[in-house]
Amino acid sequence: MTETVLEVTDLDVDYNTGEDATHAVRHVSFTLEQGEFVGLVGESGSGKSTLGFAIAGLSKPPAVVTRGRILFDGRDIASMSREELREQRHGGVAMVLQSGMNALNPVRSIRNHFRDIFEAHGHVDKRHWDARAAEIVGKVELPPQVLDRYPGELSGGMRQRVSIALALSLEPQLMVFDEPTTALDVLVQHAVMNTIIELQKRENFTALLISHDLGIVLESAQRVLVMHEGEIVEDATARQILKKPKDDYTKMLLSHYADPRGEVVELPGFEDRAARAKTGAKRADAAAHPPTVSPRERRTDQKAIVVEDLVKVYPPPRRGEREVRAVDGVSFTLEPGASLALVGASGSGKSTIAKLITAVEKPTSGSVKFGDLDVGKLRRGQFRSLHRDVQMVFQDPYSALNPLHTVEYTLTRPVANFTKLRGQDARRRVLELLDIVGLSPVEEFAAKLPHQLSGGQRQRVVIARALASDPQVIIADEPVSMLDVSLRAGVLALLEDLREQWGVSMLYITHDLLSARLVTDNIMVLNHGKVVERGDTAEVLRHPKDEYTVKLLDAIPNPRKVA
Amino acid sequence: MTTMTATQQPAIAKAPGPWSVFVRVSSTIWSNGKARIGLIILGLFVVFAIFAPLIAPYGASQNGFDRSADPTAAHWLGTTAAGEDVLSQLIWGSQVSIFVGLVAGVLSTIIAVLVGLSWGYARGFGGDVVNFIVNLFLVIPGLPLMIVIAAYLSGGGIAMIITVVVITGWAWGARVLRSQTQSLRSRDFVTAAVFSGERPFRIVFREILPNMTSLIVGNFFGAATSAILAEAGLEYLGLGDSSVVSWGTMLFWAQNSNALLTGQWSLLFAPGLCIALLATSLTLINFGVDGISNPRLREGKQR
Amino acid sequence: MTSVTAAPRGAEGKAKSVEDDLPLQTDSSGRARQTTLFVLRKLGLFVLTLWAAVTVNFILPRLMPGTPADAALAKLAQNGPVSDATKAAIEAQLGVPTGNIFEQYVSYLHQVITLDFGVSYTFYPQTVAELVSTALPYTLVLVGAVTIIAFILGTLLGVLAAWKRGTWLDALPTLAGSFASAFPYFWTALLLLFFAGYVWRLFPTSGAYGPTATPNLSFAFLGDALYHAFLPALTILITSLGGWILGMRNTMISTLGDDYVTFAEANGLKPRVVALRYAARNAILPNLTSFGLALGGVVGGSILVERVFGYPGVGYLLFNAVTNQDYPLMQALFLMITLSVLVANFLVDILYGVLDPRTRR
Repeated sequence: MTETVLEVTDLDVDYNTGEDATHAVRHVSFTLEQGEFVGLVGESGSGKSTLGFAIAGLSKPPAVVTRGRILFDGRDIASMSREELREQRHGGVAMVLQSGMNALNPVRSIRNHFRDIFEAHGHVDKRHWDARAAEIVGKVELPPQVLDRYPGELSGGMRQRVSIALALSLEPQLMVFDEPTTALDVLVQHAVMNTIIELQKRENFTALLISHDLGIVLESAQRVLVMHEGEIVEDATARQILKKPKDDYTKMLLSHYADPRGEVVELPGFEDRAARAKTGAKRADAAAHPPTVSPRERRTDQKAIVVEDLVKVYPPPRRGEREVRAVDGVSFTLEPGASLALVGASGSGKSTIAKLITAVEKPTSGSVKFGDLDVGKLRRGQFRSLHRDVQMVFQDPYSALNPLHTVEYTLTRPVANFTKLRGQDARRRVLELLDIVGLSPVEEFAAKLPHQLSGGQRQRVVIARALASDPQVIIADEPVSMLDVSLRAGVLALLEDLREQWGVSMLYITHDLLSARLVTDNIMVLNHGKVVERGDTAEVLRHPKDEYTVKLLDAIPNPRKVA
Repeated sequence: MTTMTATQQPAIAKAPGPWSVFVRVSSTIWSNGKARIGLIILGLFVVFAIFAPLIAPYGASQNGFDRSADPTAAHWLGTTAAGEDVLSQLIWGSQVSIFVGLVAGVLSTIIAVLVGLSWGYARGFGGDVVNFIVNLFLVIPGLPLMIVIAAYLSGGGIAMIITVVVITGWAWGARVLRSQTQSLRSRDFVTAAVFSGERPFRIVFREILPNMTSLIVGNFFGAATSAILAEAGLEYLGLGDSSVVSWGTMLFWAQNSNALLTGQWSLLFAPGLCIALLATSLTLINFGVDGISNPRLREGKQR
Repeated sequence: MTSVTAAPRGAEGKAKSVEDDLPLQTDSSGRARQTTLFVLRKLGLFVLTLWAAVTVNFILPRLMPGTPADAALAKLAQNGPVSDATKAAIEAQLGVPTGNIFEQYVSYLHQVITLDFGVSYTFYPQTVAELVSTALPYTLVLVGAVTIIAFILGTLLGVLAAWKRGTWLDALPTLAGSFASAFPYFWTALLLLFFAGYVWRLFPTSGAYGPTATPNLSFAFLGDALYHAFLPALTILITSLGGWILGMRNTMISTLGDDYVTFAEANGLKPRVVALRYAARNAILPNLTSFGLALGGVVGGSILVERVFGYPGVGYLLFNAVTNQDYPLMQALFLMITLSVLVANFLVDILYGVLDPRTRR
């Protein structure tokens, strides 16, 4: 027999009230049983975090619970007073925040963080404070010395472990994890998730894991709530969701997952690459996937990027520390029309390589050549000669567009700088670019400012800007990692078609091995600035040889493993 | 603020020009309640300054009235020890304060923008040296430095005061703008502009600068406020040209003619109140400016 | 219910070590070393800034039109014959049109180090050093004490305003503060002097102590000194308080939105603890920096205040030196004022390092 810990009935949470209210959570009802590990999954803006904050009694204006009940322990969290809420936090609902990196007070030692909690609730005898704190950090696999550190002295993963330990010290019945690993590096993410899963089993608290990543949720949770536009559209066991999803939205989310190690890897819009390679078919040849750009003759003057023994050393980040060898003896060639993936965890040096190839940074030694252009020796005034042909797509579409400029201005600048088109001709070119990246009606999008666009639309503008000079090479630095899964395939298809239909070569930088498998032929795995493995993408991912590649592959959450 | 040469193609794809920036900034400031009060007060003073010849009942140094007289119907605020009309002097005096505030504010903001932008944008622009010099100007106490310089340049008048105020007043803004430039510089859209083939000059003035409007406007009002206060302080000490009629010199003469002993309160009260009101109006306007850049400070609608 | 157990991931290897690229390497001795390094670095910067300020003081009179040294000598000659030593001292300080600038600089530095600033001609035959050392304590105590009180009081009120945001506890100090801080120092001083001094006759109208008292450390004298210092102190308090309230309120509103405050609330800490140890404790750091930089302004304001109240501190002396074109005295006073602000800033820097563990690294 199980006991109900939390019962949410017909809950509405609005932002603001009255006329300009937006409904973030609508008619949500569900229950959590004691000891359950439940996942709450949804894309950005689905209201999942708002719901999590409401359950933890942390809703703050402008978020207001306007209807329904959140029964915990027989009492309604939504109608408790501040002090009642505060008191119930011991042995009640605890929460681990998304940005665990910033969840700790930078000027207080970890020990004092624990003392503050013990002092607030008085549930631990003062004499045992330190021993208890040491015991709890041990549970999240940290040594007791960590208690004497300040948050700034700990790595991101350690800080998130500390916040989990702090939440645990409240002896909660229910723990809400709000995207607990999103801000962390892939490998760290994996390790922290393992800790959470083991901890939950051992301590037997009820857990609600909020995540945008269906993979992570399916892998850890027994039951999954799928949230879409403020409503829970499906509430089923992990197995049912995987085998027999009922809701269309759940099906859509699920369709965007695949195991990059699989024999056959297919996503909406993408047939298996290996199968295509055999017949020489392009992505857009399949009847179901119309091409995003119209085919054209390949340029005849295309040049390769040749990187030889590239080294980049940065000065020590702080006095008394060692210098950083971000890139350490890397050589490769990107042939015209080829696609090459550069993968690794954060800090592996992959983004530094992008900066060196595009002359944003100067190499310490070694060379980058684009045709007969020596990129490492370019002076500022000569950048145009490189950027005419080598362009970049940035990771964060929110930061890559100047918030004050219209789409038209943003696109007109490279057209004016790299082509002879002026006036109405330039404008026609801008509209043509918008059409290529699939932003129509073009006139309407041209007039918009970045904040009026969605993340996916912004990324398309960023790609359109990169295409304005009609480049031969595109360096794509994690182009889809900030986008919701449902939007990723579209952007990837666009990049793939540019290569297949126009012959634009692509250096695809990512930590996401699945997307690398979809859009590249060759792959290089980077660890601490060195290439540890390289070869055919499918081959390397299916039969990795280097230990580090194996680790990266193991860190990928994969729903299919549940079955 | 920045006068840019518009050397671009025809009417398409204009970046927000200076005028539209001005309109946007003004309407943002106006939408803040406190700032609106500030703008109204400032507007009144500006009207007084511009139309002083029409508004003031007498000339600025027109004398020959009763000396040290209390308020009467002919002289609403009484007369000075030299037999001048206090109300007229007050109205004429607004010209000096507003002129000094405007000119010194604009000049020190321009220097702050130029130093802050180039220091923040160009890497290794003698970084440590500039840092040291700016910090030196920040810690050297401004008013004592002004007093010393003013003492050497005795009789330099308003131009001297403006020079001194600018010399001691640009460093703060330069530092704030530099750190903002550095933070904007690391944003991808600045790198993207390099990829779009933009020249450094254009990147600085078209990509970075417009994103710092609120800081620059705020810096201007801050600099203008301290310029007005410093000008009044120097003149009160008798370090300016004491023949010019300004609120500072009015207080200087009031103190020297023992207005405290004779109990002629309007002579002391009125000029000081004007200085305080003008300075307050600029401070209030800055509340609205903060709102442009710091959403957390925006007044919540209803909570 | 049917439970689907997720495949245990622990089996995939203890991957913990991967993430901890940042080992717990620093032990307590390492920390002590870092602290020493921090203090030494700040000390080095202080000495460098000091040197620069002294040099500015050397260059300033030499940049000015005319020859301040000649003017000074001419003025001094009115009091009687000028000795060669005095002449040399004045020339070293203010510059002579001819002569080796480098030699002048060396002899100037020597003067500064030995605190030998020559003779004042306003208060002939007193030396500049004597005059300055008599005036300095009054200003240091008055301005120093009041500034610290104003900072602490303003910070507390700012914390309260931010914590009680939207109530009268927020509106009142914020509004009053922003209004009062726009008052010119000397006008506030004049108003207080006029009403409390002349009209109501509550406080003395000038001086640092009564006409019959002689400076000593008796309670009677100290009481008298406090009585005389009250109005100047109140002026400085009123005009500087508002800035601290507003500054603290704004930074605290910003830290109240930080994640560690939300997390502290989620952990059920008492509201007072969240407000003080979490939000305020972090908000005070940027304010401390502004405090150091605003000191110069307060010192400047206090000059005007001392002038109004005829308070015999450094500011009043500077005013007298300036009106009498007593350049040697003026230069020495400017140097002393700058030095005091630099020392105060150095102390603030060290305090900042104590309060913020991040700076010591």
